[in-house]
Amino acid sequence: MWRGLWTLAAQAARGPRRLCTRRSSGAPAPGSGATIFALSSGQGRCGIAVIRTSGPSSGHALRILTAARDLPPARHASLRLLSDPRSGEPLDRALVLWFPGPRSFTGEDCVEFHVHGGPAVVSGVLQALGSVPGLRPAEAGEFTRRAFANGKLNLTEVEGLADLIHAETEAQRRQALRQLDGELGHLCCGWAETLTKALAHVEAYIDFGEDDNLEEGVLEQADVEVRALEVALGAHLQDARRGQRLRSGAHVVVTGPPNAGKSSLGEGAGPSRKPVSIVSPEPGTTRDVLETPVDLAGFPVLLSDTAGLREGVGPVEQEGVRRARDRLEQADLILAMLDASDLASPSSCNFLATVVASVGAQSPSDSSQRLLLVLNKSDLLSRKGPGPRPDLPPHLLLSCLTGEGLDGLLEALRKELAAVCGDPSTGSPLLTRARHQHHLQGCLDALSHYKQSKDLALAAEALRVARGHLTQLTGGGGTEEILDIIFRDFCVGK
Amino acid sequence: MFYFRGCGRWVAASFTKQQFPLARLSSDSAAPRTPHFDVIVIGGGHAGTEAATAAARCGSRTLLLTHRVDTIGQMSCNPSFGGIGKGHLMREVDALDGLCSRICDQSGVHYKVLNRRKGPAVWGLRAQIDRKLYKQNMQKEILNTPLLTVQEGAVEDLILTEPEPEHTGKCRVSGVVLVDGSTVYAESVILTTGTFLRGMIVIGLEMHPAGRLGDHPSIGLAQTLEKLGFVVGRLKTGTPPRIAKDSINFSILNKQTPDNPSVPFSFTNETVWIKPEDQLPCYLTHTNPRVDEIVLKNLHLNSHVKETTRGPRYCPSIESKVLRFPNRLHQVWLEPEGMDSDLIYPQGLSVTLPAELQEKMITCIRGLEKAKVIQPGYGVQYDYLDPRQITPSLETHLVQRLFFAGQINGTTGYEEAAAQGVIAGINASLRVSRKPPFVVSRTEGYIGVLIDDLTTLGTSEPYRMFTSRVEFRLSLRPDNADIRLTLRGYKDAGCVSQQRYERACWMKSSLEEGISVLKFIEFSSSKWKNLIPEVSISTSRSLPVRALDVLKYEEVDMDSLAKAVPEPLKKYTKCRELAERLKIEATYESVLFHQLQEIKGVQQDEALQLPKDIDYLTIRDVSLSHEVREKLHFSRPQTIGAASRIPGVTPAAIINLLRFVKTTQQRQAAMNESPKTDQCLRDADRLQERQL
Repeated sequence: MWRGLWTLAAQAARGPRRLCTRRSSGAPAPGSGATIFALSSGQGRCGIAVIRTSGPSSGHALRILTAARDLPPARHASLRLLSDPRSGEPLDRALVLWFPGPRSFTGEDCVEFHVHGGPAVVSGVLQALGSVPGLRPAEAGEFTRRAFANGKLNLTEVEGLADLIHAETEAQRRQALRQLDGELGHLCCGWAETLTKALAHVEAYIDFGEDDNLEEGVLEQADVEVRALEVALGAHLQDARRGQRLRSGAHVVVTGPPNAGKSSLGEGAGPSRKPVSIVSPEPGTTRDVLETPVDLAGFPVLLSDTAGLREGVGPVEQEGVRRARDRLEQADLILAMLDASDLASPSSCNFLATVVASVGAQSPSDSSQRLLLVLNKSDLLSRKGPGPRPDLPPHLLLSCLTGEGLDGLLEALRKELAAVCGDPSTGSPLLTRARHQHHLQGCLDALSHYKQSKDLALAAEALRVARGHLTQLTGGGGTEEILDIIFRDFCVGK
Repeated sequence: MFYFRGCGRWVAASFTKQQFPLARLSSDSAAPRTPHFDVIVIGGGHAGTEAATAAARCGSRTLLLTHRVDTIGQMSCNPSFGGIGKGHLMREVDALDGLCSRICDQSGVHYKVLNRRKGPAVWGLRAQIDRKLYKQNMQKEILNTPLLTVQEGAVEDLILTEPEPEHTGKCRVSGVVLVDGSTVYAESVILTTGTFLRGMIVIGLEMHPAGRLGDHPSIGLAQTLEKLGFVVGRLKTGTPPRIAKDSINFSILNKQTPDNPSVPFSFTNETVWIKPEDQLPCYLTHTNPRVDEIVLKNLHLNSHVKETTRGPRYCPSIESKVLRFPNRLHQVWLEPEGMDSDLIYPQGLSVTLPAELQEKMITCIRGLEKAKVIQPGYGVQYDYLDPRQITPSLETHLVQRLFFAGQINGTTGYEEAAAQGVIAGINASLRVSRKPPFVVSRTEGYIGVLIDDLTTLGTSEPYRMFTSRVEFRLSLRPDNADIRLTLRGYKDAGCVSQQRYERACWMKSSLEEGISVLKFIEFSSSKWKNLIPEVSISTSRSLPVRALDVLKYEEVDMDSLAKAVPEPLKKYTKCRELAERLKIEATYESVLFHQLQEIKGVQQDEALQLPKDIDYLTIRDVSLSHEVREKLHFSRPQTIGAASRIPGVTPAAIINLLRFVKTTQQRQAAMNESPKTDQCLRDADRLQERQL
């Protein structure tokens, strides 16, 4: 019963556009036969990272990575040298644990790799696992779901499962959004578009080729496009350096109406104290999204300073506002900043009503996106005053000018970040990269079948599988999308 | 009641309206009893005929009510059956022992399999059909079906009674009221009214109410359905003009000849009724810029095209082709309407211009310069009921024991209608005998995809079958429809004859045996090269190659393989069909293995039934967003699988539903385990009541 649900959860994680799509048309099913792997320990600075696998090929994967004939004794920690099965290059000396099923967390054969926590090591081991046949990166909540399917969790424990899946899919969705924002994302979307079109044309040729008059060369055109796609994908996979910069760490986005002092905060928060944004008393100074990797209370953080949210200004600033809203979607933690002395202004009220209220409206378990409301310029408030407004949600007072309240803010940030980073699924770009590679390779493999097939139904099936892989990364993928293209491009029907 | 049994035979003998016994019986008969049937089918089109015969095959005493007996089996639009996707549906209808495939094998005038070069999974069986023959053969079949009675009459209203408490629905249908006021009672009622619900015919700016040219629409029935609370939508379709055969200059046009040999539609036939050399050809011509000009200049005279009623995204009419794809030549197939018909059907020229302009337009076309229009093309606008209001067994959520099939559910095409008809007939009958419904899943057939798409997603344009709608296209092929459905139809529905069942069983076991033998035979690739020199086996490894893998090659078939390895393969070439099917199985073997796993996963989700009486809008135990609740409330999915296909129903909502289902199941299991305590409680209640 779980396979279909896995697909569903996976689809949700795939992309922002359609949370629940129709069954994708032919992605290889993450069936219970597959073996999954994931980074199980939290993100952030850590000495040891734990990578887990679950499924029938776990033992095989362990033997391949340790280059050993035999498995280590069950449920005993053993020190092993892990090396990449493709190159034989050593990756790390690690503690490995072998849990044969059914006496394991998921009830299946499981392996734990306790490796050193550096991103290079973790990334290397994840990629090595991804190259073992039969292994693929886990989808959101998949370990837990397997445990449930195998009777390792009872019904009451499952009550949290929906929340968990929701939170994890949300986290993965944001992660996917971030990835798709970059170069690779543009590439993926372009590839998926090409492939969908090629598939639509092949499908049109199958469904209408003889009864209706499709233009000449529909199939040849699809062939050319698929071949070009194959070359592009192959080149991309060969050149690992072109893989995009990993935007590691929790994403903290500073937002608010113009001139609330967002950029001044960025200055104060970063321990480096190097100027990040231009700060001026003029509203609308910051127009682009400014990203700085900072170390906040020991957590790796990507701090984004964004344009103040307001309508009806010049086109450049409007673009800045649009980018700011996009970035808000991707944030793990939102620092919502308002001018304490200016709470009654329309822009402040509007901001409170839209951004703050909408994030606050979600129940805590509903989404793991968090928000801290900060009222800046507390120095401008009269000392005796009763405080800004009684109906405000919980907030912190701060003065970037005097530095008052900064410690309180840092403490609050530390708490929030601990919660965000404690969740291994949140912003684990290493795992995301492993997933990307897995699906791109799967897509490429399927495309090679397209070339080989003389039977057009088989060729179309290869394209369906290839597209399934790409839409795992970009979202979408329904049958209607194909039909839309067919009816847009061709005059068909009786 | 004995009077009606075998009535069909009696009617067959007497073919005129006055002699129909039933209408008189209900009014003149001294017996006070009003007639009572198991199943009433309203409508004698492609859905109605299949529904009525399927119900009768399942053992129900069935009444087919139609406006006119002489229009039973009428092909109101194109003179052809089948095609890509549609041919798949026909094979499945045939696998359930339906009529249309067998009748087409007796009535075709030009048989041709489309997509021959594209792989057997997407072959499209198709034939031009002689309208007159089809109607004759269909009426003969209908009037000779045991347990089936035919009566003329227009239905005006439904008889509704209190609902059965163990099922959902606000009332239950128990019969129909005819226009003359008489009533007929039944346990189940199937509506297959096609385009007759508030049907409106459009030619140019003229509109007049009609279900089909020359037939009255059903207005009272449409009002009844609306009053009951059914959500009604409006669709449009059209049909081309008919041209006099002798006014066409065929000599300058491209001729298309039929296949030789002809491939029959039905599993039970080895050949069709007519030899290839006796079949009629089709001809191909094209539109030209002058056609575009006439269409564009006269749009103001064309209310069908201007209307906002949703037509399909694909192009049904020449007007929409010209508007959406200007400056192109569009194909026009000139198709024969029958052996001795004087008419030609110009496929691709569906048009609703005023009649005189239609002729003007047609005479611009090559070969049709002197063409005479005998009957103008026209558009039809009609009501359909949002199909999300019916279950996968085609019973309505609102009214118990009321079933809808065919165009009333928003589909287009004879084959789509026939497919729904069979399913509705079977289920109406099963409902009477209180057996579980017969549902075909997406993983089992095109019928399943069709019905699942309709009932979970609805449709806003006339729904047509395409192979691209089918996820498991390589598994759901025309060649194996019998294995997929005949066995189930026999066991679960009882709609399949013993003979057909036995044939399918034999075929299934022969295929399985053949495949395992082919897997078992292994030689080195060099030995294969010696045995079958014409095939170059490409293998990088020195592993032995299975005969099944050799059979995958295009150049190899069972005959050449059996020549190379006579023992034990020779016996599999004796039955032509078996040999061909083994070849097809080999072609798709590698992919089918993966697809089978995926299918199993989907089937497991489908097996998780959602409680039928669940009220999504008020239920507290499940945490669902308002949006999801509304969607679930409207579509009422029967399984977790169906719920997951509704756009907007999130994975988290599915998990919540799943938990709810599991808890309910556990509670029920607990109840079943302690029936005694339950009984005690009930007894205690009763005792208390008495004391009060």
